Amino acid sequence: MENMSPVLLMQRHEIVEADLVLVRELGSHIEPRLAEYVEHLYAWMRQLPEYEEYFADPRRVERVQRAQVDYWRELFRGVIDESFMARRRATGEMHARIGLSLPTYFAAVDMSLTILVDRVLPEAALGDRKAAALRALTKIVHIDTAIVVEAYNRLTSEKLAGQARALLELSTPVTALWEDILLLPVIGIIDSRRAQDIMRSVLQRIAETRAKVFIMDISGVSVVDTAVANHLIKITKAMRLMGCECLLSGVSPAVAQTVIELGIDISSVNSRATMRDALEEGFRRVGIEVKRIGQ
Amino acid sequence: MSLRDAENRELLVLRIDDDSDIPVVLVRLGAFLSAQGICAPESARIATATVELATNIVKYAKRGVIRVRALRLGHQRGIEVEAEDKGPGIANVNLALTDSYSTSGSLGLGLPGVRRLMDDFDIRSTVGSGTTVRIRRWIP
Repeated sequence: MENMSPVLLMQRHEIVEADLVLVRELGSHIEPRLAEYVEHLYAWMRQLPEYEEYFADPRRVERVQRAQVDYWRELFRGVIDESFMARRRATGEMHARIGLSLPTYFAAVDMSLTILVDRVLPEAALGDRKAAALRALTKIVHIDTAIVVEAYNRLTSEKLAGQARALLELSTPVTALWEDILLLPVIGIIDSRRAQDIMRSVLQRIAETRAKVFIMDISGVSVVDTAVANHLIKITKAMRLMGCECLLSGVSPAVAQTVIELGIDISSVNSRATMRDALEEGFRRVGIEVKRIGQ
Repeated sequence: MSLRDAENRELLVLRIDDDSDIPVVLVRLGAFLSAQGICAPESARIATATVELATNIVKYAKRGVIRVRALRLGHQRGIEVEAEDKGPGIANVNLALTDSYSTSGSLGLGLPGVRRLMDDFDIRSTVGSGTTVRIRRWIP
């Protein structure tokens, strides 16, 4: 849809030149009376709970009303080309950005059609071609709707991707647990992007701190598939290459079972049941003994 | 409850378009399984197998669909996962089911591992038109 050409879009919605001719003719009856349309539309819009939120500023009302008149003028030009599509996309993005909900947008489009057809269009206009003309108008409005929905969608997924990135950045809190000992609790889902992120920040921290032991606790990870296991093995090997031993801890019974049934060779991974066991092993490796006071 | 509600409760459809959908598969499948009263280690087993199939879709076919169904056979409860794509297909299915065989440089344990994790395993693949893998796990 995003990259669809105007021609393809018209084909998909079965719009032919005859439809565009009819829409232009409809426009010739409606355009001189668009001011009436705006009046009716705003009588309806003022009842919406969102109205106050968006239209507290009278200058804004004026600007939006002008834009709405332009919108219908352009639609009644009966030309579907790149610039038409670009402007529709901009309209969609604008509505999405101000946070107007899609149901409200649709209700307004639906109300607009009702006003234009029932109140603005002269009763006798177009004679027996009226039904065909209205059908053509609906098709073009639907194209427009499709473009607007797409724009909403894209903005929403951009937002989601942003949130996901933000979460990712928050999700590798490498902590210096002791001199020479680093800890990373991995929680949630590891996908390849996150695995790369972990690899990068872990190696960076090892380079900065010259740590000798790295405890990676995966008790917060519920699924270790072959791709994740592969990543964990690679991370372990890269650490070892930097002179740091990785101790994996918190392997749950479920994860242990699935990893073995998957047939993954984990002989290169140094694993401990709990984080405490890993820490004790870490202390031993860096030559620290922890004693109870007074002993 | 209408028939439609019943179907919706029993069926989960997950579209896969790229690797960012894989975490989504895990989250939505986890919610589905726990709604069916299935918990660890069975949920981890089913989720791991499903993620293997989802990863294969992204890796070889780019996009596809995963359908998850709750099964009931007498008192026996089970989960069926069907992964379907319209990708290039697998030239030699037997080879793809062999441990450590991979055409992508990965561990090559995905498909054979999935077969070991689940009770029923069925694969249909046609070169040039796609692959469908259907797996079942009966909850012990």
